[in-house]
Amino acid sequence: MSPEALATALDAEHAAIYAYGPIGVRLDTASAADARQAEAAHRSRRDALVLRLTALGSTPPPAAPSYTLPYPLTDRAAALRLATEIEERTAAVWRSALPETEDADRSSALAALTDCAVRATRWRRRAGVSPATVPFPGRVT
Amino acid sequence: MPPRHRTKERPVAAQSVTRRSASGTAGAPTFPRPGTRLGLSLEWGGRLVAYVRQTLAVRSRLVDQQPSRRGVLAAAVGAVALYPMSGCGLFGDDEEKERPPAPDPLAPLLAEARALVSQHEAAIGAFPVLAERLTPVAQAHREHVAALAKVIKTADPSPSASASPTPPAGDAKSTLAALRTAEQKCQKTAAQACQAGPPERAALLGSIAAACATHLEVVR
Repeated sequence: MSPEALATALDAEHAAIYAYGPIGVRLDTASAADARQAEAAHRSRRDALVLRLTALGSTPPPAAPSYTLPYPLTDRAAALRLATEIEERTAAVWRSALPETEDADRSSALAALTDCAVRATRWRRRAGVSPATVPFPGRVT
Repeated sequence: MPPRHRTKERPVAAQSVTRRSASGTAGAPTFPRPGTRLGLSLEWGGRLVAYVRQTLAVRSRLVDQQPSRRGVLAAAVGAVALYPMSGCGLFGDDEEKERPPAPDPLAPLLAEARALVSQHEAAIGAFPVLAERLTPVAQAHREHVAALAKVIKTADPSPSASASPTPPAGDAKSTLAALRTAEQKCQKTAAQACQAGPPERAALLGSIAAACATHLEVVR
């Protein structure tokens, strides 16, 4: 069991929660509802990680006061693109937590990886990206 | 004949005679020694022939039948042929070499991934309208097969295995439903393997499980 892997995952969840704020502003109504659901899912993962890290006797890393977006979110397309990238990034972090975890922690990491991968696919579909799936979600190529 | 020739021939003849008498008059050694195994086996074969003949004679008296000379000979020849082999450990070695290795725990997942490739190809063949949706999914499963085969160090069978897939029964809707069921099953298998597997396999198996979950988003 590696608290470092979970701390890294927590950092990624903090960033994802932050990003969905500006993303949601640029989306259409239907997509914005998806964004709110996605943000809630990331908050849920964040809370679970904080509890788990505390139980392990580790100090959970706090969220940064602010995050720099990789590019300005000027329109819906940019928002969908960033939403996809956020999910891909969190998927990658959870994937790399898998070998570092076991039992219930690995189970949570796999569920998180799967959820992120599914959301990334949904965002690609909304953005009209084809194909909407990747062979190995979370694998950094 | 000049005496020279005689003296040259005699040791050869004498040697061969000596050799034969050595194996014949060596008494009855109880343990086969290296180099004498064949001679001994012939001797043991002879004993066996006598034993079999005796046994059959007894039996024939009991059942009032003539013993088959051919059968007796076959048994004796078989015994003689087998005896030297049984002594040199050939059978033991072969058993160890031929014992198949224990199947890898990922073998069922590999089989499922291969089946999914065929199933998607069959669906694409039967319903070209689904090609755009299913082609990347089939390709993903092909990559899963290759990655799994690499991990469990088994040969990735040629694509000819899935060259002529059985056309799916029913319409496009039921075909998609069957594909979704198969994807869900594969996701479950991969997730269980990820959960139970060693750390070095966890990431790959997690990705495969997640990939199957994403396929449910497009296979519809």
